[in-house]
Amino acid sequence: MQIDPDLCIGCGQCLPYCPVNAITLEEDISQIDLDECAECGNCLRNAHCPVDAIYQQDLAWPRIVRSILSDVLTIAVESGISGRGTEEMKTNEVTGRFKFGFAGIAIEVGRPVLGARLYDVEKIAQAVASLNVEFEKNNPVTSMMSDPKTGKFKNELINEKVLSAIIEFVVKLEQLPELFRILEKVAAKIETVFSLDVATRICSDGRVPTSPYIEGAGLWIAPNGKTNVGLGRPLYQEK
Amino acid sequence: MTHTLHRMGSEASLREDYVVLVMPSKDINHEGSGPKLRQFLQMALEAGAIKIGDARLGNQYHQGSIDNLLNNVEDRAVVHAVFKDQDSLIKILQRLKETDLGLSVVVSGLFDEVATCCNRVGLDRHTINQSLGRWGRTDRLPSREILEISTMCGHGMVTVSLIQEVIEDIKNGNSTPEQGAERLFEPCMCGIFNPHRAAELLRALVVKEI
Repeated sequence: MQIDPDLCIGCGQCLPYCPVNAITLEEDISQIDLDECAECGNCLRNAHCPVDAIYQQDLAWPRIVRSILSDVLTIAVESGISGRGTEEMKTNEVTGRFKFGFAGIAIEVGRPVLGARLYDVEKIAQAVASLNVEFEKNNPVTSMMSDPKTGKFKNELINEKVLSAIIEFVVKLEQLPELFRILEKVAAKIETVFSLDVATRICSDGRVPTSPYIEGAGLWIAPNGKTNVGLGRPLYQEK
Repeated sequence: MTHTLHRMGSEASLREDYVVLVMPSKDINHEGSGPKLRQFLQMALEAGAIKIGDARLGNQYHQGSIDNLLNNVEDRAVVHAVFKDQDSLIKILQRLKETDLGLSVVVSGLFDEVATCCNRVGLDRHTINQSLGRWGRTDRLPSREILEISTMCGHGMVTVSLIQEVIEDIKNGNSTPEQGAERLFEPCMCGIFNPHRAAELLRALVVKEI
């Protein structure tokens, strides 16, 4: 995103709309630090600049990935939906993506608030790749890897800044303790935060198959989360 | 896209915060889903939704009006409705069960409360997504009170700076908590920010800071 210095009147109205504080007032003119800007579009859409000084410049590769992973209204080619991720558990009753005995994992790097450089996303992806996971093909983050087997990203991307990047894959339930150990180690090596999601089928008696593994690792589980209530059709028939 | 998963807050506060998401699945049931998604949004408003939203085209402010939002829903949209109480949630789940749109329905909220509502209307929970919280440089995050507001927009569009500006406006008498909460809703393109809960949180924050 950019601000036309010839139009800007220095009112500062755009400053609080930047989630990564990339906009500053310099000599009574708003300026955007392009290295920090994640191209989320929030200032352009919501600051209501009184002189229309904010404008979207052409985004070429590799900068375009900032918009793909930061602008909520950008449609990712891989998933066909807006946002950074995929249908994941939201349509699980019709896709059968996450089956009994398995857990769907999403590592939301940069959430909340801080954003992330892709080199930190790569560190985490490379760490979990040691479990021989297959990264979700429909997730745009997987397309940014030069080698999805190792989690290595394309070299030209690793310094790009995004609001969040979601690493998605499936593990067997018994792999969860090792995954948690890996994540604890790599969490100490990154500059940002990540939020961790674990998706699972619910047993017919209401039991949650992942909970013993999570509690066994001494980890906290939020009392709130997402529940797919099974209304999609046709229903996937799990063998 | 787990934009409704990591909403932070006390259990008492989260009892006033439920998001219902409806979406089709690509290449399985997305063709012709637009009118069904619109029907859901209309049913949600009748059931007492305090906000509705469309992650594909933006919220009511971005699209100009609620009518525009309803009229513009496309086949591949992901739409939402926000509810502030269990009674309304039960109403919409009952309507969804009866109407049988055939689209996927996901409820974000306290697991126990959502399970109770599902039981009341005879729905079997299929899959859940659990939040295991925040890892890494959590020392760089703002206060828990600010995060309880900002995480209601999982995409991070309700910024910390804007929340702080709204708090100052309320403290200075330039805004009510309700007006401030509505201002914070505007950048949340998916329309999943809960202004009812935000107003309560803002009120408590201002009292604490004064």
